[in-house]
Amino acid sequence: MQLRRIEGDLWEIAREGRMKVPGRVYSVGPPAPDDPALRQLANVAHLPGILRFALAMPDLHWGYGFPIGGVAAVDAERGAVSPGGVGYDINCGVRLVTTELEAEAVRPRLPDLAARLFLDIPTGVGSSRAIPRLSEAELEAVLAEGARWAVKRGFAAGDDDALRCEEGGALAGADAACVSERARRRGADQLGTLGSGNHFLEVDRVAAVYDPVAAAAFGLHLGAVAIQIHSGSRGLGYQVCDEALASLAALGKDYGEDYRALPDPQLACAPISSEAGAAYLGAMQAAANFAFANRQVMTGLAVRAFSRVLSGAEGALGARVLYDVCHNVAKREVHLVEGRAREVLVHRKGATRAFGPGDERVPLPYRAVGQPVLIPGDMGRYSYVLAGTARAMEETFGSSCHGAGRLLSRGGALRAARGRDLLKELEARGIAVRVRARKTLGEEMSDAYKDVAEVVRVMASGGITRLVARLDPLAVVKG
Amino acid sequence: MEQDLARRTEERTLASAGQTPHRYTLPEPYRELDHTADVGVEVEGRSLAEVVARLVLAEAALLAGGGAVLPDREELLEVKGEDLTRTALALLRELLYRFATARVIAASCTVHAAGSTGLAVLVELGPYDPVAHAEGHDLKAVTWHEARCAEEGDLWRARVIFDL
Repeated sequence: MQLRRIEGDLWEIAREGRMKVPGRVYSVGPPAPDDPALRQLANVAHLPGILRFALAMPDLHWGYGFPIGGVAAVDAERGAVSPGGVGYDINCGVRLVTTELEAEAVRPRLPDLAARLFLDIPTGVGSSRAIPRLSEAELEAVLAEGARWAVKRGFAAGDDDALRCEEGGALAGADAACVSERARRRGADQLGTLGSGNHFLEVDRVAAVYDPVAAAAFGLHLGAVAIQIHSGSRGLGYQVCDEALASLAALGKDYGEDYRALPDPQLACAPISSEAGAAYLGAMQAAANFAFANRQVMTGLAVRAFSRVLSGAEGALGARVLYDVCHNVAKREVHLVEGRAREVLVHRKGATRAFGPGDERVPLPYRAVGQPVLIPGDMGRYSYVLAGTARAMEETFGSSCHGAGRLLSRGGALRAARGRDLLKELEARGIAVRVRARKTLGEEMSDAYKDVAEVVRVMASGGITRLVARLDPLAVVKG
Repeated sequence: MEQDLARRTEERTLASAGQTPHRYTLPEPYRELDHTADVGVEVEGRSLAEVVARLVLAEAALLAGGGAVLPDREELLEVKGEDLTRTALALLRELLYRFATARVIAASCTVHAAGSTGLAVLVELGPYDPVAHAEGHDLKAVTWHEARCAEEGDLWRARVIFDL
């Protein structure tokens, strides 16, 4: 594999063999040529219909088929759709809710807030029944309407929450009829639940502002409290992906040499125009809507929890959704390719949309400064709010990184955590923690992750995003 | 070589082969694999039936976090696949689906029929206990990555990575 530096932190994997395009990697330091994630990126470059580059963001690490941190845009008519390019947790994503609360005023109540949030929002293995189990008709509506379904039922910070989400909180290509009975059964009682692993709900403090104009447009004020939610489509999305992988792997040989010759069976894919491809897209986007609704329900539950603990009316919080981003999804978008506006299917697997200023797809309040890009870090350090740029539209199909990326395996993290009282360490730094499974603390500790500051620095120095603000954790709820 | 393997492992019931199916119960030996953000298992067995049973119980052990599983029901599972590895993965998927929806974990596994494209196993299942199984992994999916189930020399070996 031949790697050459293009400029700054941007590297290129030369096109060779049956690669259709080169690979491009934004990297914290020179990429290691023997990194298996780079081989995966080169494999992605074999996808039928792929345009310009197979892209990797600086939080790149090894995944199934596609690397995590991978972006690939294919021709919307003649290209392939790959479940590996979305991931198991369809529309795992992040939402940020701003408030008018001051962090220092809330600090004495943090333990109570954490306890209340932990009680009201189910977390951990098998978490379910945040709200009553959905009927078939209700689930059908969730799969079609996404966040709007939950807003209509009063799970909201404000009436316009959905408008402040990527794609208005629902993907128009969703086809609930393509979601299997098994996927529905897995998801029916999981709406409004956090899940486990690296999912979290955080109470944050706006600790630094780097771009005052963008921060003001986003409603971020130094010292204010914000609520961050990281979760996805729960069991429903996993089942959709699982079934699609099995189905497409069996069909691949029917679609011609380009499909048969794919170097990794986990890149199982189908033509977008095929019955199987369309079925996956329909089901995947319905699962994405489930995830939007999931984060919306948790928004409503979190706002209520705040009101209960702080003894105020919900409106007094001044809570408002800043934005909600997907980081595991594939969707049709229009981008300029060789100077011409063209509809493409963009796969983002562990990558975030980052549209630039002036783009009509960015909500009006933010349009002048660019789309908010929410990048969570680990639970002991910080997260970032960025803004999309015009350069992202030119270079990365309007895409950016999504988080920190793991340094240690879960087993490695637990071994490194031996002898440490992580709960006490976090509490000593003023972070109230509630976690369902004790081992989660070790698996998810800061040392297990790369420093997200380095990841966002690479995106900023590459002109892909602009730094807007930093969020520091005050309270963390995990599964 | 693949044809020889297929002939040796063509689907047959253990009873018709003159063997009494053996009931394997938790805990059975397995090796846990560190894998980036996920978790995997590797098992060995002296026969296909043994390696399949140990694979089933390795998945169960990950879910139960080493805690005991008290069976209160049993179920005969029959799965098919294009080859032995995919068939084994199909079996694990069925059990993971039951964990996801009915919150049950396998406590024992008896392989009644084993072949390269089909498996029939009787599993005893017990309810997930959030206290006893607090250290269990929240397995979300059975991945295909580096998955294999095959005879290697005198032993059968199987390996699977689970998405967390």
